[in-house]
Amino acid sequence: MNDSERLHRRRQFRFPWRSRRQVAEELEAELAFHIDASAADLVAKGWSDAAARSEAVRRFGDMDYTGAYCRREDARREQEKRRTTMLDELWQDLTFAFRSMRSSRGFTTAALLTLALGIGANTAVFSVVHGVLLDPLPFHDAGQLVRVFHAQPSSGNLRGAVSEPDFLDWRESSRTAASMGAYFFADGLSGVDLTGAGDPERLSAALVTDGFFQTLGTAAILGRTLATEEHLEGRNRVVVLSHGFWTRRFAADPSIVGRTIRLDGDPFEVAGVMPPGFTYPATQAIDVWIPLSNLGPEAIPRGRDVHFLSVVARLGPGVTAAQLHDEVGGLAARLSRQFVENAGWDGVTVVGLRDTIVGDVRRPLFVLSVAVALLLVIAGVNVASLLLARASGRQRELAVRAALGAGRGRIARQLLTESLTLAAIGGALGVALGQLGVRALLASGSDILPWAADIRLDGFVLTVALVTSLAVGLVFGLVPTMRATRDLDPTLRAGARGSVGSGQRVRSALVVCEVALAVMLVIGAGLVTKSFARLSAVDLGFRSQNALVATFSVGSSHQGEERLTYVESVLEAVRALPGVQAAGSIRDLPLLGNGEVNRPTVPGRSDALGEPPAVQVHHVSTDFFQAIGTPLKSGRSFSLMDRDGTPSVTVVNEEAARRLWPGQDAVGKTVLLGSTEVRVVGVVGDIRQRGVAEPVDPAMYLHLHQNFRNRISLVVRVTGDASSYAGLVRQAIWSKDPHQTITSVTMLDDVLGRVTARPRLLAWLLSVFGAVGLTLGVLGIFGVQAYAVNQRRQEIGVRVALGAPLRSVVLLIVGRGMLLAGAGLVLGLGGAALLAGSLRAVLFGIEPLDAWTFAQVSGALLGAALLASWLPARRGLAIDPVSALRYD
Amino acid sequence: MAVDSLALVQGTVNVLILKALTQGPMHGYGISKWIHDESTGALAVEDAALYQALHRLERKGLIESEWGVSDANRKAKFYTLTREGRKYLQAEVAALRRYMDALFKILQPA
Repeated sequence: MNDSERLHRRRQFRFPWRSRRQVAEELEAELAFHIDASAADLVAKGWSDAAARSEAVRRFGDMDYTGAYCRREDARREQEKRRTTMLDELWQDLTFAFRSMRSSRGFTTAALLTLALGIGANTAVFSVVHGVLLDPLPFHDAGQLVRVFHAQPSSGNLRGAVSEPDFLDWRESSRTAASMGAYFFADGLSGVDLTGAGDPERLSAALVTDGFFQTLGTAAILGRTLATEEHLEGRNRVVVLSHGFWTRRFAADPSIVGRTIRLDGDPFEVAGVMPPGFTYPATQAIDVWIPLSNLGPEAIPRGRDVHFLSVVARLGPGVTAAQLHDEVGGLAARLSRQFVENAGWDGVTVVGLRDTIVGDVRRPLFVLSVAVALLLVIAGVNVASLLLARASGRQRELAVRAALGAGRGRIARQLLTESLTLAAIGGALGVALGQLGVRALLASGSDILPWAADIRLDGFVLTVALVTSLAVGLVFGLVPTMRATRDLDPTLRAGARGSVGSGQRVRSALVVCEVALAVMLVIGAGLVTKSFARLSAVDLGFRSQNALVATFSVGSSHQGEERLTYVESVLEAVRALPGVQAAGSIRDLPLLGNGEVNRPTVPGRSDALGEPPAVQVHHVSTDFFQAIGTPLKSGRSFSLMDRDGTPSVTVVNEEAARRLWPGQDAVGKTVLLGSTEVRVVGVVGDIRQRGVAEPVDPAMYLHLHQNFRNRISLVVRVTGDASSYAGLVRQAIWSKDPHQTITSVTMLDDVLGRVTARPRLLAWLLSVFGAVGLTLGVLGIFGVQAYAVNQRRQEIGVRVALGAPLRSVVLLIVGRGMLLAGAGLVLGLGGAALLAGSLRAVLFGIEPLDAWTFAQVSGALLGAALLASWLPARRGLAIDPVSALRYD
Repeated sequence: MAVDSLALVQGTVNVLILKALTQGPMHGYGISKWIHDESTGALAVEDAALYQALHRLERKGLIESEWGVSDANRKAKFYTLTREGRKYLQAEVAALRRYMDALFKILQPA
C-alpha cells in the first residue's frame, strides 16, 4: 500500500512523456515480473528453483525479438502522445487566449491598435527600403558598374557631365574599364516624336553611344541591342524599345523586330526589345534607346566645352573604382592641359551606379527606417506595459491555476501564447495597414522614388513583418510573463494587496523608455518639419503661382529662319488668349535643368580676381522674365530687335554681375562666349535654377533669335487659376502646327511641388510617426498613473481620512507622473542629441541640435505629461475615504 | 504449455486479450493464465506473442497500462481496457461470429 502510494505520487511529478531509457527500463521490469511469476507457479508445482526459471524463460519464446518489438511500439506511442499533448495544449492555450482577449476588450483593442500601428509603419517603410535599396539592380554583375563624372574642382563642380570628344578619348585610352558607354538623357526632356501609325506621341528617349548596352550587360529579350557599326552615320537609324513601350504601343507583338517606326519623321528599324525592369537611365519609365549619332551637331555642338553626356563604365576584372578614378582622372588632367576648352576640368568623380541612382533617397529612407524602428519599440513597450498591467490584475487567477496544479512552465507558456497571439493578430492588421501605407506612399511619392514599380509587399517583406511581429510578441511578452510567474505563491496568501510593489516599478521603467523614444522621434519630426518650412520659404527668384508651363520641342519639319517665326507665332497666339498677362520661353525650366554650362572670358578682368566662374547659359524668348515673374534690376530685357545680324546681347543675373564685374555696373560690359562677343544689356534677379536648396549659379540669358534651341518651355502667366488655361494653350500651339507634339502641360506650382515633394513627404511622415509616438508615450504615462491611483485607493483614502490636504495628495500623484516624464525626457533629449547628427543631410536651414526645437519638444511633452498625470489624480481625489477603506 | 494445445488463428490473440481485460485490470502473466484456464488448457498463447500484442494494442489506444502491485505484493504493470478497446472487441466478436456461422453452415450438413 505504502509502495503503491509512493509510486502514485511519483507519477504525478513525472514528465508528461517518457524518455527512451525509461521505456526500456519499464519493459525490462514488466518482463522480469512475468518470468518471476511464471517460475513461482512452477516452483509451487514442485519444480526446483533453477529448473523452474529456465522452463519459464523457454516457455516465453523469443525474448530478444519481443523486447525489441515492444520497445519500438512503445517509442512510437510516446511520440504520438507527445504530439497530441502538445497540440492539445496549444489548442487549449489558443482558445484560452482568444477567450481572454474577448473578455477584456479595452485591453485587446489598445494592444492590437498599438501593434498594428507599429508593424504597419514598419512594413510600409520596409517595402520601400526593400524595393529601392535592397533589390538587386537589373544589370549583370551590377557591383562592377560605376558612373564617371567630369570634375572641375576650381568651380566646385565635382559631378559634371562629359563632352563627347572627352568621352571618346577616355574610352579609347582607359585600360581599367572593361567597357565604357555614354548617354544623353533628361527625364521628360530628351525625347523624340513618334508619328505614323496611331496618335503622334512624344517618346521618352535615351540617346546612347556605342558601349552603353555592352557596359550594362543586359541582353534584349527580343532581337538584339545596338551593334558598334549601328552608331555610325548612315546606319544609325535603329531603335531599341523598352518593354513598357513595346507592350503599351505594340501590344507586345513579337514581329516588331525588323519593322520600321517613324521617329522625328525619320524611319527607324526596330533592333530589339529590352526586358521588363530595364529602364536605365530612367528610373521610372523610358520608351526607346537610339544611337546618339542621330542627334546632329546642330542640336548639340560636339566641342569639348559642351558637357552633356553621362558616362557609365564597367570595372575590368580585379580593378577597383579607385584605380579607375586614378587612371581616368589622370587622362582628364592631361586633356585639361592640352585643350583650352578643358581648362579646370582636370579631374573625375567615380561613384557606384547604385549610389548615383538611389543616392538622394538613401538618407531620407534611412531616417524613416530609424523613425519607424523607434515607433515599433515604443509600440512594443506600450504593449508590454499593458500586458504587465493586465498580468497584475490577473495574479489571483494565475495563483489559483498554479494552486490547482498548473506548472510554472505551463502558465508561462499560456501567457506567452497570449502575447504571441496578440502579436500575430496585431501583425496581420499591421500588414494590412502597411499595404495601405505603401499605396499612400506610392500615390504621393511615385515620382520621387526610383523603381517605384518595384515597391510592393512581396513574400520577403511579409516574412520580415511576420518575424518582426512574433519577435515583438516574444520579447515584450517575456517581461510580463516572467514577472507574473515569479511570485505565484505569495499572491494567493497576501490577497489583493500583494501586487503593488515591483510590477509597478517595471512598468514605470517601461514608461520612461517609451517617453524617451517618443521624445527622440518628435525631435526628429520637429527638425525635419521646420527644415521643410524653411525650404518652402526660400525666395526662388520667380513666382510659381498663376503660371502654366507647356514643354515641347520644335521638330525637324521646321528649319532655319522659319523655326523662329514659328515659335514667335506660337508665343503670339498664346499671348492673344484672354487672361494671359505674359508668355515667354526658356530651354531649361528653373529647378528642372541647368542650361548649358560655359566659361566666359571677361576682357579687362584683373588677374587679382582669378578665373571668371563658369556660368549657366539659358536661351529665352522675349517676355520670359515677365512671364516667370523675375524682376529686371537694371538695363533692358530682350526685344525682337535682338536678332540674327544685330550685335549679340545678353541679360545676366545679379550673381553673374557680382562675380564677373565685382563692384561695377554690368550693363554695357562685354564677355566672350567661345569666340562670340556678347554685350550685357540688362541685369535680372537671381533664379534658383539648380534646386530650392541649392545656391544660385551665375547665369547668362541669350535671346532665342540669336541662339536658337529646339527645346521650348513655354511659361504663361495668367490671371486666375492657371490650370483652366491648359486646354487653351494647347489649342493655341496646335493652331500654328497641328502636328506639334507637346511633352507636358503643367502648373509651375506643380513643378515646384514635385521638386519639394521628397522633403514634404519626409516631414509629413515623420510628423505622423512623431504624433503616434508621442500619443503612445503619453498614454503610457496615463495608464501607469491611472493604475497606480487604483492600486493605492486605500492609501489615498487613509491620507484623506487623516486630514491630508487635497492638494498634497494631488501633488503626490502628479509628482510621480512628472518624475517619469522628466526621466524619459532627459534620456530622450540625450538620445536625440546623439542621433540628430544623422539628420544633417536631410535638413535645410536648421542645425541638427537646434536648441529651440529641443526646448519646444520638451515643453510640449511636459505639458502633455502633466495632463496625463493630472487626470488620474483628479479621479483619485474623488475617492470616498470610507468606501476605499471598506474596499476588499 | 501443453503440446496438444490448439494453435491460434491469426488475430484472435487480440480478441482474447481484450476479452480477458473485460474482467478488470490484469498484468501480462495474469492474462496468459486466464486464457489458459478459461479454455481449460485447450488454447495457449505463446508469451512472446502475448507481450507483442499487448504493446501493439496499447499503442493503438485499445488498452492502457499503469504500474500497480500484484497479489504477491510485487510491482507489476496492469492493463485496462479503454473505451475504444471495448468497442473494438464487440465489433471483432460479432465479425468472428458471422465468420463461424457461415463456416458451420457449410460444414454441418456433412
